[in-house]
Amino acid sequence: MNKRVVITGLGVVSSLGIGWQEFWDNLLQGKSGISPVASIDTTNHFTHNGGEVTHFDPRQFIAEEKINQYNRSSQFAVAAAALAKKDARLSESMLPTGRIGICIGTTTGSIQAIERINDKRLSHQDIERNLASQLPPHTTPAAVAREIGASGPNCMISTACAAGNYAIGYGFDLIRFGRAELVFAGGADPFSRISFTGFNQFSAVAPEKCQPFDKNRKGMMVAEGSGILVLEILEHALQRNAQVYAEILGYGLSCDAQHMTQPSVQGVARCMINAMHETGITAEQVDYISAHGTGTQANDKTESAAIQMVFGERYKSIPVSSIKSMLGHTMGAASAIEAIACALVVKHDIIPPTINFDTSDPECDLDCVPNKARKQRTTIVMNNSYAFGGNNASLILKKFTG
Amino acid sequence: MKKAVITGIGIISPIGIGKDEYWHGLLQAKTGFRPISLFDTSALNVHYAGEISNFDPIPLLGKKGLRTFDRSTKLVSAAAKFSLDDAGLEITEDNTYSTGVSIGATFGSLRSIAEFDRQGLVEGPRYVNPSHFPNTVINSPASQISIRFKIKGFNTTISTGFCASLDAISYAVDFIRLGRADVVLAGGVEELCEETFFGFYKLGCLSGLDGTEPLCCPFDAKRNGTILSEGAAVLILEEENHARQRGSDIYATVAGCANSFDTKAEMDFSHKGIGLQQAINLALKEAFLAPEQIEYIASCANSTRGLDRLETSAIKDVFGTHAYDIPVSSIKSMIGETFSTSGALSLAAVTGCLQMGIISPTVNYEEKDPECDLDYVPNTARKRIIQNALILASDPYGHNTAMVVKRYGG
Repeated sequence: MNKRVVITGLGVVSSLGIGWQEFWDNLLQGKSGISPVASIDTTNHFTHNGGEVTHFDPRQFIAEEKINQYNRSSQFAVAAAALAKKDARLSESMLPTGRIGICIGTTTGSIQAIERINDKRLSHQDIERNLASQLPPHTTPAAVAREIGASGPNCMISTACAAGNYAIGYGFDLIRFGRAELVFAGGADPFSRISFTGFNQFSAVAPEKCQPFDKNRKGMMVAEGSGILVLEILEHALQRNAQVYAEILGYGLSCDAQHMTQPSVQGVARCMINAMHETGITAEQVDYISAHGTGTQANDKTESAAIQMVFGERYKSIPVSSIKSMLGHTMGAASAIEAIACALVVKHDIIPPTINFDTSDPECDLDCVPNKARKQRTTIVMNNSYAFGGNNASLILKKFTG
Repeated sequence: MKKAVITGIGIISPIGIGKDEYWHGLLQAKTGFRPISLFDTSALNVHYAGEISNFDPIPLLGKKGLRTFDRSTKLVSAAAKFSLDDAGLEITEDNTYSTGVSIGATFGSLRSIAEFDRQGLVEGPRYVNPSHFPNTVINSPASQISIRFKIKGFNTTISTGFCASLDAISYAVDFIRLGRADVVLAGGVEELCEETFFGFYKLGCLSGLDGTEPLCCPFDAKRNGTILSEGAAVLILEEENHARQRGSDIYATVAGCANSFDTKAEMDFSHKGIGLQQAINLALKEAFLAPEQIEYIASCANSTRGLDRLETSAIKDVFGTHAYDIPVSSIKSMIGETFSTSGALSLAAVTGCLQMGIISPTVNYEEKDPECDLDYVPNTARKRIIQNALILASDPYGHNTAMVVKRYGG
């Protein structure tokens, strides 16, 4: 159970780029991926912006005849996994397929199939078998496994907006247990009118832009995308001379056990502490925190207080940024995409900024790396994620030094 | 390595509420099928399901907080309460941080999601009731268990269809072995609702699509589909020493689990079942058992043509001639297809079987299918002391899970 696990491939489908290079360049330039929502009619909603992936062409990744069998979530995940596989330079014969696992997280999974069925029901149209077959959320890891050719463990974790971290964490466990040697792990979620409506009804959506930690922050941005990472047992990565982005040291979970939607300072603090406890990392060693940082009043205040509780005096000197300021909240994909950013942070020693930052908030007075990326040596990074249900997960990555 | 044992069982099923009624029902070959009352089926050809008709959560959970719960959440919260009581466990400030929740649920929240969307479509997005939004996340039922019983260690939901609750239990076992938790409430939940029923109907999985009376008869030559059902099963998985130290009764040990994907599965069971075979072999290996040491197989056969045949053929491929000596029975003949809950219900049934030395039968079995020729324990329960049992789950999208359970002390 002491096997070392490294990240050797990255795949991103996001509003800021398809493939990690474009995504990373845009993050470092502080670009925003937010645009007027096009996939649903927002006339009767309170807000009209979101983080849709507007330039995704599934035909680049999926055979024409299969495209209609995969819901958008599966299309994203298949594309991100293909990109990660290519990035990891994995050839087909590298490992027996039974040693390759798939572990994906999601919030809403096949929600667009539900929406399309509702549209048809309300207009008394027939519902095709193909649409019904897209309903189960585990069609996504199944699609990825089929496309990759992976017959090892296959898991779908649905822990809402922290699901990406849960999936990466369990992928890491699967390798440590010897259940797999290589796992494609991450998250995927489509833009959905249910999420858009729900968060709007919660008055949790910002009208124009997402401003994590800013005093005048007005909320989150509903977004979509997928992030998939290739997790690999170190020996195998070294054997095939793979490029290594970062090492996964471990993760911590916690549950607030308090409220479905209101975050708890104790709950998220415990999550960070559990992650450090499990990995043997001390608060002094953490060089960067990728915040959950949704841009809502409640989240950012809670997360800041929890970071203060855990890191004490270092609270203001650790860079803590939220790439949700640029991408919006990609739900179950969010912490997976953020884990990709974290792997690139330790690889390149550059920290992406929190954009749209204007006025500091005494309740969130940490160093949020405002508006401009920062060159800084980073060895240990923590990736925070929180979810409805009080399901929290923090992942810890380390610069790979051999 | 640490060992995960079972110390508590909580069941809400169409054939019985609570562990004892459930076990009794299985051994009495009781079936839980009745006309559907939860929604209108008049436009369809099938009107039967394993609907739980006598379930009232209030005596068990109290009135408070139930108002916004959907059916899945009520079912699984009640099962969790039963499991804690059965294990004699109380969650306190001392043990809450080392206690977790791991639940398999795939369509558990489907009705809540679909209803929320319909309200937005019909009444307009600004008139949707925000208090129903939290129910639209798939992890809502599991999360409400943590909130209600103040369980702070971790909370995970796994959505792998037919395999979901066995996968959730495997996850719990892994967490106990890793030392992340001493106790995990693990299981699954699915509610019967129009949306799920319609999905199974549309995919042609249900018995009685031609207007004949539905019959759930796994392995029988006449089988023509399954009967959809609902339920919740939560088991207390506990680290062995933790259970012993608090003087708890121990029902059984989960000795091995494995999950394998079958890339040949294309939403059906017409392939060879290589993935299921692989899962069985890996689970046996993890449990340090040879195939000959398995004395009972809790089958996932649900009375569909493909699954029952595929499972039988995978068992024969792994066990060779020994396959004919192993009793193989399917509780789905009595309960129906509870989808994400099915694996946890199987584990609860197997635990009873190990405890009492009686194997539950496959009911409605009359006519032999040449492709399904194993010993299916037809129609009546059978006395037999068993040390090691195997539980199977297989999903048409390709997921397969196998779990080996050992009699405790055996």
